[in-house]
Amino acid sequence: MLDAGICNYVVISYGHSGLWGGGMRQLLFNTRASEAAFGHFGAVGRYALAARRSMHVFSRGPETWKHIAMGQRKWANLNPAAIMHAKPMSEEDYYGAPLVVEPFRLFDNCQMNDGGRAIIVTSAERAKDLKHRPALIMGMGLDNPCNEIAQAQYTAGPTGAKKAGRAALEMAGIGLADIDACQIYDCFTYTVEVTLQDYGFFGYGEGKDWFKGGTIEPGGRMPVNTSGGQLSEAYFMGLTPISEAVMQLMGRCGPRQLGPKTQTKEPQIILCSDNGGTLQSHACLIFRRG
Amino acid sequence: MSAEKILPAPDADSKPFWDGCREHRLKFQQCAACGEVRWPPSILCPQCHSQDTRWMEASGRGTIYTFAVYHQAFHPAFKGKLPYVVAVVKLDEGPMLLTNLVGRPPDSLACEMPVQVEWDDISEEYSLPKFRPI
Amino acid sequence: MSLKDKYAVVGVGYTPQGKVADRKSLSFHLEAVSKAIMDAGLKKEDIDGLNAYRHFPPCPGEPDLTPQLLAQHLGMTPTYISQDAN
Repeated sequence: MLDAGICNYVVISYGHSGLWGGGMRQLLFNTRASEAAFGHFGAVGRYALAARRSMHVFSRGPETWKHIAMGQRKWANLNPAAIMHAKPMSEEDYYGAPLVVEPFRLFDNCQMNDGGRAIIVTSAERAKDLKHRPALIMGMGLDNPCNEIAQAQYTAGPTGAKKAGRAALEMAGIGLADIDACQIYDCFTYTVEVTLQDYGFFGYGEGKDWFKGGTIEPGGRMPVNTSGGQLSEAYFMGLTPISEAVMQLMGRCGPRQLGPKTQTKEPQIILCSDNGGTLQSHACLIFRRG
Repeated sequence: MSAEKILPAPDADSKPFWDGCREHRLKFQQCAACGEVRWPPSILCPQCHSQDTRWMEASGRGTIYTFAVYHQAFHPAFKGKLPYVVAVVKLDEGPMLLTNLVGRPPDSLACEMPVQVEWDDISEEYSLPKFRPI
Repeated sequence: MSLKDKYAVVGVGYTPQGKVADRKSLSFHLEAVSKAIMDAGLKKEDIDGLNAYRHFPPCPGEPDLTPQLLAQHLGMTPTYISQDAN
């Protein structure tokens, strides 16, 4: 719409009385009668089916996902607005939490919360005159595998992330080595693993070793979900990763700011992912500091 | 007082499938143009878009494509059944069906295990196809 | 023609988040949008496009939250209006 000259400034907004108002229960307890007859409900069950297939293909599961849950929690511990700000997570906490729909434990699931988030998008030209240094959209890619989880044969990868990531990098004219940090749609820990894998950060099934040693944490070589993400900050669908990428590039993140404060690289380029359905839709966005 | 249960909701596309289930027969649409056996049911073939369809009967054999074990009750009707297993079974004829696995403890299950259909008559009108490892 | 570097995000709006009682979903959209506009140093009159996440079905007891409803409460009549669904 901006490109067609139909409008100049677009606001994208999210608002949900997801916890107090019961809104997120509808995502979790979503009942399709002919599946519910078998006891199958909502997002957790659907993603659990995807994650189990990946465990079969890669021979690993929670031993990879624990690094994602714990790593992102460390970022939330630096973010006063994050729901889990005051709650550090140890490996005992991760494995000791109750199983929800196996293979997922409690901390494999994102937050259920009330709240909202919004961003304003405009042309690079108009952005120059505004208050903050802009976060420029360098690249964008889309792909939609679409099949319902019960008929999906891509859940252990390649998901939509593979094509979408490639297209975004091509538009941006960069490679993975140019990426300073990632903000990855993390409705579940498993989603982060399969997305980064499909983007090419590590080979199939090699996630466990890639995440080990604090890779995604403060001080790590590839920070991921630096607000805490949907897992530990708050769930606002794609606006959680995108708003954090923007704030980091604008240099406005306080104690969690990428750079010397967190013993990480000062970010020039951040890669974001957004998902729809159960791995049915994927968007990859690459932002750079303006 | 019988426990609350959830019944399937047949529609115009799926009614023949559920009618077959009541007779303990696993029936699917097969495209008369290209031979693809499809699920979910639909007016046209997702492969070739032909609307020329006939119904075939599947053998009831397949393998576990994936599964998940419910440890929390997402609906009161299932509270008494925890833990229970929801699975996707890939039938020998091609369709992938959302179902339950029965007859084995959850921690003995693995993807690719061969399975066979068995029937759970949940009401006079409805029987659910469930699968047991063989 | 590539979109590279042609567009930018220029403002972010935050709201209270977590367990926030006695507030409708609409109120979070409204607060987030008004704060994003302020954050960007813009005015409501500058915004001529609105893309709103719309949760369907709506939260129990709430009306269907369409982008039109949101625009009405914001006092806007955007040229471009659209919704993303969950």
